[in-house]
Amino acid sequence: MTGAGSAQLRDATAWVTDAVVALGRALRAEGLATTVDQELALSKALAMVNISDREQFRWAARACFLRGPHEGPAFERVFDRFWKGSKLDGPRGPMVEHGETDPRMPGPQHGGESLPQFRPESRSGHLLDGGSSRAAQEIPTAGAQEPGSGKRRGVLAAYSPEQTQTEVRRLSYQRDELEAVRALGDQLRRAHPERLSRRARPSRRRGRLDLRRTVRRSLRTDGEALRPAWSSQSVRPRRLVLLCDVSGSMERFSRVLLASLRAAVAAGIEAEAFVFATGLTRLTRTLNDRDLGRALEQARAAVGDWSGGTRIGAAFGDFNRTWGRRGLSRGAIVIVVSDGWDRGDPELLAREARRLQLQARRLIWVNPRPADIDLQPLAVGMRAALPYVDDFIPGHDPRAIHGLAALAHGFGAARPARKQRQLSSVAAARI
Amino acid sequence: MTAPGTIDELRDALAAERYLVDEGLATVVYLALRIRRPLLVEGEPGVGKTELAKALAAATEAPLVRLQCYEGIDVHHALYDWDYQRQLLHLRAEGSEPLYSERFLLRRPLLEALSNPGCVLLIDELDRADDEFEAFLLEFLSDFQVTIPEIGTVGAERPPVVVITSNRTRELHDALRRRCLYHWIEHPDLGRETAIVRARLPEVPRELAAQACALVEQLRWLDLYRLPGVGETLDWTESLAALGAAEVGPEVTERSLGSLLKSHEDIERVRREGITELIERSRREGPDSGGRREAA
Repeated sequence: MTGAGSAQLRDATAWVTDAVVALGRALRAEGLATTVDQELALSKALAMVNISDREQFRWAARACFLRGPHEGPAFERVFDRFWKGSKLDGPRGPMVEHGETDPRMPGPQHGGESLPQFRPESRSGHLLDGGSSRAAQEIPTAGAQEPGSGKRRGVLAAYSPEQTQTEVRRLSYQRDELEAVRALGDQLRRAHPERLSRRARPSRRRGRLDLRRTVRRSLRTDGEALRPAWSSQSVRPRRLVLLCDVSGSMERFSRVLLASLRAAVAAGIEAEAFVFATGLTRLTRTLNDRDLGRALEQARAAVGDWSGGTRIGAAFGDFNRTWGRRGLSRGAIVIVVSDGWDRGDPELLAREARRLQLQARRLIWVNPRPADIDLQPLAVGMRAALPYVDDFIPGHDPRAIHGLAALAHGFGAARPARKQRQLSSVAAARI
Repeated sequence: MTAPGTIDELRDALAAERYLVDEGLATVVYLALRIRRPLLVEGEPGVGKTELAKALAAATEAPLVRLQCYEGIDVHHALYDWDYQRQLLHLRAEGSEPLYSERFLLRRPLLEALSNPGCVLLIDELDRADDEFEAFLLEFLSDFQVTIPEIGTVGAERPPVVVITSNRTRELHDALRRRCLYHWIEHPDLGRETAIVRARLPEVPRELAAQACALVEQLRWLDLYRLPGVGETLDWTESLAALGAAEVGPEVTERSLGSLLKSHEDIERVRREGITELIERSRREGPDSGGRREAA
């Protein structure tokens, strides 16, 4: 980086910075949470590579802006446009303009689970920008990213109220329902399942000898370790994985289920939220939005197959392969909420349910329909999965959402005996 | 430590350590070396995330300091601790040295990395550590300086090259990601995987290595629970050679499948697909399936 290289680059620094800023903004508009910090890193990085080489530029930008493989496709879309719109032999101008305007033109908002939440934001950005030059100047002051994004949010609320409201009307949560969600969050925080952590905490009770504190204490008694200090293991929340059926047959419960999921995710107890109909959608991130109403609407919009058909086996398979494989369900309490009316292959469902059970600490299946599944011709899936469920809880109305907290608590600590069993009267009484 | 001057030099240096990188990874690693940002690599198990750090250390002739993360890891395991036994003995012997001095300090990997100018620090499987540790690490990574209350502030003469790996069992905090360069390592395409196997296992016949890689490439298209990584390909090729196979045939594959696929369901799945079938397909499509993968 020393000597001739940087001297030669100094003249070019200005337009490189412009380009980087433009790319960063374009990515932001596409939904990637890029920061000024990352733009600085990229500016530095570009001084190290051959910036007229597309691949080197691309990989440098990827490394600086990406935070996960899921952001790859969006990045490539933006980068393609970015690179095409620029002529590297005639710097300045086209690149900046391109990055500023293009991503907001119609089109790019298709598909993708995180997109809906950014649509309003980029729209408000459009309203904000008087012209590209102004927007470019805005960047240095955006050094404090937090207020910047806050401002955008504010603008969203002020400038496009119709849009947000029409979407709210879709699920139309009432004030008291939202209250109930908050209350459930509190309950869950108090009554979540726990596990032992490997982290040690100081303790008064005799446990493991805490040498560090013992030595400290012994200084007071002339180096004689008279009063040993102890430590013991601390507890951590045990992960809770919620898999909720939002297919057509569960339609009347879906709204409330979504709200329950939000309560669990926001309670800070390591809960993971998934919904499924024909496919699986992870909602943990979407539901974690600070604003309750917005979180619910975004989550609803992120599920493509809401009230669609049911393929539970395929959804479980999806879960096992993408999330279970990484260890998300390992040692977790997995709660499935579904009526088990399945149009998929029952054999597949049985196989995947078994796999899920083997990874989870406990697999709980909550079924809003009554217990006599043999009388329900449509509950093929339920019958297939039942042997692999640790706790089957039929006849539980998920609209009584506080039951979820009780459930999570009641099943927390113990390792289940792995065999088929019907609802025990104890479990029924608890709910 | 010798820092490679260009991306190509870096690639060659890594290749000399029998670690083959594609252009993306080469660029990113080069940047990590030059702008001294930590490098966060993620990817499926067995694509060589940990190996990268080892190869990088060897290629730059720098010492490698490894911190393996696990649940409950804390400052005393990662940074420093005091040698309590010796402190107690020292007290009993009525020694006069201060108890909290360098003499009784146990250096853990992070402190080790600070006192080893220009070393490669591998923070392995960070997703296994808990959030508190991640927060602590954040501080460490931002200025490569730590404060030990009893001694004072310890900084690095030259910051280490940091490679962080994660298996994504937990989402790492955004604040940490922001401080890092990020790279997702894909399974290598057929050509590169064959090159890797040949570099790592030079004693295995060329033809056998190529066929083995072609079959593994086919397997990656199946809906398996645990896709075989490069590590498994190497294991399996070695097994094939050990069994004295001259080429990948149905029988020898069947016998050695256990070193390639590590779960009963996956083995069953492959059997259902038909091993003979798969081998034939891999021979037919061998050379161009790499392109197909990229298109997906």
